[in-house]
Amino acid sequence: MTKKQQSIRNTLVIILLVFILFYLLPYLWLIGTSFKTRVDAFSIPPKLLFNPTTANYHEVFVEKHFLSNLGNSLLVTFLVTGISLIVGVPSAYAFSRFKIRGDKLFFFYLLGTRFTPVIVLALPLYFIMSNLKLLNTFAGIVIAHSAFNIAFVIWMMKGFFDTIPKEIDESARVDGCSWLTVFLQIGVPLSANGIAATAVFCAVNSWNEFLMALILTGRKTATLPVALPGLMTPQGTLWGQIAAVGAVITIPVLIFSFMVQKYMVQGLSSGAIK
Amino acid sequence: MSLQVGYRQRTALLFHLPAMIILTAITMVPLIYNIRISFFGFTLTQSGSRDVFVGLDNYVRLFTDHEYWNSMWVTARFVVCSTLLQLVLGTVLALIIHYYGGRLHRILTSGIMIPMLVAPLVVGLMFSFTLNPQFGLYSFLVDVFHLGLSKTPLSSGGTALAVLILTDVWEWTPFMMLMTLAALRSVPMEPYEAAILDGAGRILIFRKITIPFIRPVVSVSIILRAIEAFKVFDKPFILTGGGPGNSTEVIDMFTYREAFVNYNFSYAAALCVVLFILLLCAGILYWRLVIRRQEDD
Repeated sequence: MTKKQQSIRNTLVIILLVFILFYLLPYLWLIGTSFKTRVDAFSIPPKLLFNPTTANYHEVFVEKHFLSNLGNSLLVTFLVTGISLIVGVPSAYAFSRFKIRGDKLFFFYLLGTRFTPVIVLALPLYFIMSNLKLLNTFAGIVIAHSAFNIAFVIWMMKGFFDTIPKEIDESARVDGCSWLTVFLQIGVPLSANGIAATAVFCAVNSWNEFLMALILTGRKTATLPVALPGLMTPQGTLWGQIAAVGAVITIPVLIFSFMVQKYMVQGLSSGAIK
Repeated sequence: MSLQVGYRQRTALLFHLPAMIILTAITMVPLIYNIRISFFGFTLTQSGSRDVFVGLDNYVRLFTDHEYWNSMWVTARFVVCSTLLQLVLGTVLALIIHYYGGRLHRILTSGIMIPMLVAPLVVGLMFSFTLNPQFGLYSFLVDVFHLGLSKTPLSSGGTALAVLILTDVWEWTPFMMLMTLAALRSVPMEPYEAAILDGAGRILIFRKITIPFIRPVVSVSIILRAIEAFKVFDKPFILTGGGPGNSTEVIDMFTYREAFVNYNFSYAAALCVVLFILLLCAGILYWRLVIRRQEDD
C-alpha cells in the first residue's frame, strides 16, 4: 500500500470515529445527565465537567419505589426467557433435522407471529386475560411476551442448528442413541454459544417491550418501561430521574449484548444470509 | 425402514408439540376472538353493546374514516423515508468499515451497535430530552452554530414527522449496517481474483461482483426494516403523542387510541384485522423472496 493510500485510509477512519461519537452523543448525554444535579443538568452552555452524584438514582429507585418495578422487569424477563427457550429450542432442532408434513406451514405461521403488530394481539389478549382474571398479573404478561419470543427463538436457533453437520448425529444414532439423547448431548452443547445469544436477545426483547406491558400490567406488576412515562408529570418532567431509569434499562442490555456480540450478529443475519 | 421413518416423524412431532400448543393458544385464539368481536358493536360507553351484531359496519366505517386514512398516510411516509435513509446510511457505513476499518473493525461495530439495543421508549425520551427548547443539546447547537433551524421542531406537523423518522433512523441504521457488513464479508474471493486477472477496474468489479452478491441480503433487510417500521409505537407515543394534531399518529397509535382511549373495542378490532391482513401479505412476500430462494440453493 502506498503512503497516499495509507493516509486516505487513516483520514477516513478518523472521520468515521468522530461520526460514531457524534452519533452516540444523545445517548451518552442521557447517561451523563443521570449523574448530574438539577442545576448542572439545566445549565446553558451544557457542562461537560461536573461533580457526579447518584442523587437521581436514589430519588427514583428508593424514594419513588422504582426498585419494585425493576424487580418486576427482572422477574418477567427471566421467566419469559426461560419458557421461550425450553419450548422453542426443541422445535428449532426439529426444524433443522427432520422434515415432516406440515412443518412448512408451521414455519410460515412462526414468521407471521414475528411480523404481527403487537397491538393486533394485545387487544384480544386484553379481553381474554380479563376474562381469565389474569389482567395485572405476572402470568398474563409472561404468557403474552412468550408468544412473540418463542417464534423468535425457533427462528434464530434453527440457523444455529443448521450449522452443525448432520453426520455427527447420524453417527451417534448408529451407536444406538435416541434422538432425545442426540439433541441433549450433541445438539445443545454444540450450539451453546447460539443459545446464549438467543437467550440474550429474548431477554432484551422482553425487557425493552412497552406496548404489551402497558396494556396487560397494572400498578403492582408494571415493568420499568411502563413506569417510566409516569415521571413526565403535569407539574413538570423529572429529567434527571428519567435519565437514571433510562441508564438502568439500557446499560445491562449493552453489557450482555457485547458478551455475545459475535453470535448475535450471526443470529440476526440468519434468515437473511445462509 | 418404514419403522425408522415413523420414529423420526414421531420424534419431530414431539419436539414441535409444546411450541405448537402454546403458540396456537396465545396467538390463534386471540386472532379468532379478534375477528369475532370486529363484527359486533362493542364499546365501553354503551352497556350491552358487547352482544349487538353489526355485521360489516366496523369495516365500512373504517373506509370512510379520514383519521384512519390519515394514520395510514403518516405510517406510509414514515416507513418509506426511514427505511430508505437507513438503507443509504447503513450501506455507506458498512462499505467504509469493510474496506477501511482494518484493526478497528471490532470496536467500530460495537460502538455502532449501541442504538439498536437501547429500548425504543428510551430512544424516544432521549430525543425529547435532546430537543428540549430550554436546555436541550439541539437548541444549544442551533444557537452556537447559528443554524437556521426551528428550535421547536416538535411543534409543527412536518418537522415533527421528520424528527420521528430521524429517531427510527438513529436506532436502526446499525441493523442495516450489520446486515450489509455480514454480507460483504461472506463474498468469496475467487470471482475477485478472476476479475483482477482479466484486468477489470475497481468500479466495474464493485458493480458486477460486490453488488450482485450483497443484493439478496440487503433486500431482505429492507423488507424486515419496513415491516418493523410499520409497527412503530413506543417512539411516537412518548415523543409526540401523535401530535401536533394527528400529524404523527401512526397506525398502531391510532388503533391504540380507538381501543384504550376512546374504548371503541369492536372498531379497534376491525382495525387490527385489517392490519393483520396487510402484514400477512408482507409475510408472504418475505417468504417467497427468502425461504424459496434458500431452498433453491
